[in-house]
Amino acid sequence: MPLDQAFRIMSVLLTGVSFLALVLGTDLPGWLVFLTGMALLFSFARAIGSTGRRSIQQPVLSATACNVLVLTGFFGFLMDSLASGELLPAGVRFLLVLMVIKLFNLRRTGDYLHLHAISVVMMVAAALGADLWYFPFVLAYLLIGVWALVLFGLTKQGEDLPVPASGLLPGQETTSAPGKVTFPLLRVAGWLAAAVFGLTLLLFYALPRLQTGLYQKSGQGTVIRTAGFSGSVDLGALGPIKQDPRIVMRVELPGRARGENGWLYLRGIAFDHYDGRSWVNQQMGRQRAIHQTTPGIFALPGRRGEDQLSPELFHQQRVFLEPLDTPVLFGAPFMEKISGKLPAVQVDGGGSFYLPFPSAAPIEYVAVSRPPVVLPADLRPVPTAVRYHDAFLRYFTQVPPQSDRIADLARTVAQHARTPFEQAMAIRDHLSRHYRYSLELPVSEQAHPLEEFLFNRKTGYCEHYATAMTIMLRTLGVPARLVTGFLATEWNEYGSYYVVRQQDAHAWVEVYLPYSGWITMDPTPLSNNGGTGGGTRVWAGWRDITDYLRLWWNRVVIQYSAADQITIVRGVQIGSATVGRKVWDSMSGWFNPPPSWRETIVGLYDRSTAILAAGVIAVLTGFCRLLWLRWKQSRYGSVFSKGGTQDERQAVTKLYSDMILYLSSKGIQKPVTTGPLQFLDTIRMQWTDAFPLAATITELYCRGRFGNATLTSDEYTIAKNKLCQLMGLTREQRGEMGLD
Amino acid sequence: MMNPTETIRSIQRNIARVIKGKPVAIEMTVVCLLARGHLLLEDVPGVGKTTLAHSLARSLDCSFKRIQFTSDLLPSDIIGVSIFNRQKQAFEFMRGPIFANIVLADEINRTTPKTQSSLLEAMSEAQISVDNQTYPLAQPFMVIATQNPAEYHGTFPLPESQLDRFLMKLRLGYPMPEEEKKVLERAPSLHPAEELQPIVTAQDVLDLQAQADKIFVDESLTDYLLSIVQATRQTELLSLGVSPRGALALHRAAKALALVRGRTYCLPDDIRELAPIVLSHRVMVARTHGLGLQSVEQAERIIHGIVDSVPVPV
Repeated sequence: MPLDQAFRIMSVLLTGVSFLALVLGTDLPGWLVFLTGMALLFSFARAIGSTGRRSIQQPVLSATACNVLVLTGFFGFLMDSLASGELLPAGVRFLLVLMVIKLFNLRRTGDYLHLHAISVVMMVAAALGADLWYFPFVLAYLLIGVWALVLFGLTKQGEDLPVPASGLLPGQETTSAPGKVTFPLLRVAGWLAAAVFGLTLLLFYALPRLQTGLYQKSGQGTVIRTAGFSGSVDLGALGPIKQDPRIVMRVELPGRARGENGWLYLRGIAFDHYDGRSWVNQQMGRQRAIHQTTPGIFALPGRRGEDQLSPELFHQQRVFLEPLDTPVLFGAPFMEKISGKLPAVQVDGGGSFYLPFPSAAPIEYVAVSRPPVVLPADLRPVPTAVRYHDAFLRYFTQVPPQSDRIADLARTVAQHARTPFEQAMAIRDHLSRHYRYSLELPVSEQAHPLEEFLFNRKTGYCEHYATAMTIMLRTLGVPARLVTGFLATEWNEYGSYYVVRQQDAHAWVEVYLPYSGWITMDPTPLSNNGGTGGGTRVWAGWRDITDYLRLWWNRVVIQYSAADQITIVRGVQIGSATVGRKVWDSMSGWFNPPPSWRETIVGLYDRSTAILAAGVIAVLTGFCRLLWLRWKQSRYGSVFSKGGTQDERQAVTKLYSDMILYLSSKGIQKPVTTGPLQFLDTIRMQWTDAFPLAATITELYCRGRFGNATLTSDEYTIAKNKLCQLMGLTREQRGEMGLD
Repeated sequence: MMNPTETIRSIQRNIARVIKGKPVAIEMTVVCLLARGHLLLEDVPGVGKTTLAHSLARSLDCSFKRIQFTSDLLPSDIIGVSIFNRQKQAFEFMRGPIFANIVLADEINRTTPKTQSSLLEAMSEAQISVDNQTYPLAQPFMVIATQNPAEYHGTFPLPESQLDRFLMKLRLGYPMPEEEKKVLERAPSLHPAEELQPIVTAQDVLDLQAQADKIFVDESLTDYLLSIVQATRQTELLSLGVSPRGALALHRAAKALALVRGRTYCLPDDIRELAPIVLSHRVMVARTHGLGLQSVEQAERIIHGIVDSVPVPV
């Protein structure tokens, strides 16, 4: 079987497979299915029956009839979409009509490629209504698609050979004996398709779901070592990691813009016991598992959720956590609910959430938290007696020994404060005003790092500030605890999410107020280490974009979030329905005369309608332009027209003149009185390398200029390519080298 | 019927088995046949003029007659004669050698003008009239005449008006030494042309002639041809330019050449190549430029010069 015939058969088969997939997947009107099926069978029979050269194959429909049909189909599509109000199904129906028209108008290779494009769109449309049987169709589609593409490449190769010059060039016989489809070729194509499918399955489906991250690139995928999120934290442990720019997590705020003042606290673990050197969790450390109310949703028991309280009180964060060495799940204070594909979630007394074990793969979850609010009651002085429970006081006013100087300092600082809140504010202000923030601390073994910070060095970072504030509050009898976590400040404009890096690790204070409960306070002054990566704006923008792409890849491919996919499909559906309705509205607005011109003008100014109208007009214009181009093309493309059109001749003559000009610049002159063949002979004598190219161009020029049949566009393209190749050659001048 | 190009090539190949080293002459002979023209071979004796005509006739499955022209040849020796049949009591026309597809008129300039003109009339009319009776000639019909330019003694040179009837005039010239050697080596028989097998039938030739008529000539090429013809009429080197019949001949020959070269359209190169062959015997060289034995070559040179001065359409 000749190659081009096999290519035609495969193309029709490819279309047939995608059509079957579509028919099984969606409900199409019966007449359309019947019509398309008949057209496919017809084309298939034609493809099997035809053995002639591709360019000679006569289409069933003339170009004009075809254009009229396409136009009719397009208006049918407009009516259809307006009547049904759904753009997507109407579009699919229109696609089928287009395909039928195309099937009756297969002329040259380009038309078969159009057919391929239509089939791809049909496969995508079929995928939207996916079911199990879709799978074998994808398999078949892949197989036939690979065959068709291989055959296409082979036929294209055959075309690029010089056009047989039929006696015009001496000694050149008909060279392009068309290749044949042999069994080994089919076998190779089949294996190729199978390999592609297997690899795809492995790479995109199986491997990412194992979530092992076994062989990830070191430095990027290895588990990030964090500090401050284990049972005990030494004072000064956060310091070394504050230089590390690796990304720990990314946080989206669904339904909410960037947080107020641009920051977001991401709470990790709270600590209650300080032994003078390090923080540990004594009472709050006990973890218990949270019962899943619905699969994938872990809510703290006994809390009143969003359904009972006003939803404005709650904040949501969608967190994409990189593999860390800690099982802590981060979220804004104070988390009440976590949902995601997590095996189990535990919570401790301090309100921190944990996985049972650290995850080795990136995980995604949604945290719902209720930010702390200071109630007005806490701003007024409260009787000391009703303040706190004894056991509670025991846990959260524990202080290490030898802290008399600290207690004195605390009393001095908070001497005018009347309420715990005011005391806390006074201490916070004192610390952030009189102490200097610096990460450059000598790593020294000090017996009392806190005293060193408060009285000698007066320089430190977040941990020192937070510890100092906690201990000072405790000496005053105010329950307080230290919290470690991250302070997110870097906002990615492109993806609208926070990028949290290792260097954003932070420690702050939670103070217990009698009425409000735990509130968050941060004594650390603003440091100006905001610019993380540094560099120019362009670089920062580029970094943001790549980071966004990475997040997207993680979500859509690796995590393969079903929610995301559903969102996309829903969005398309809703969008199309909206567009259809809007088109209908605006159309009916045009057809029914509006009550007054004023309203019309106001209506026109309505932004969405105007955009929509512009879009519709643009589509219509593009369509008309396409039709016109096609019409023009069909005029030039007709093989049997007598005499040929003037434009076509001028084009190929221009091309030939360009060649003559170029050659004369290379030292080969064409006198006006020599004919093209004579000149070709001259070229053969003077520049052997250029001869085959020039021969093809001359042959096509002669045929196009003096022949009674115009060149096909394919042939014109060949001539153009040959001229480009010719201009790429370098001529070695014999004898006189300096002449150019 | 086969592919025309292939058919024509096989005819050429067949002739080339006998006529060595003259591909152009062979090609032009075939062109002449396809253009429904008549051929005048002019060269010194013994270079293969007769053999060329003979082998062409042998390659076609056509009838072939040879007439050796002498000074005492009569028109009836060519055309035929009416004889009284006693049984039928009526005159009966005995057909002469002109009733053949290919007629070789050897040494045409040796016979009297009367006999010459009877042949030339037959050539242009493609029919003959005897005793008020008209007889159409066989189709295809082609006359290949030879004449010897070296020996003018006792000859009757054809006048220009009659030379016009021939589509082209060819000169064979001496073969190259190596080709001549081949001729000597493979000459076991006296008439190598006799060994040739016919390639095509008379009907095939008619079909090919019809195809040659359909060859496309672009308008710009017609203009180009006419400007060459115009130039022959205007130049001072020639006292007599090319007649419209000459222009027509060039046009027809160009079409046939395009078919022979396997194209469906003419190119400027066809006209360039044919102009000296088709036009040179239709012009008269001006006296100031020498009228002598070499006037034929002179005319060819002048036509060459004219062709080289007319710009080719682009």
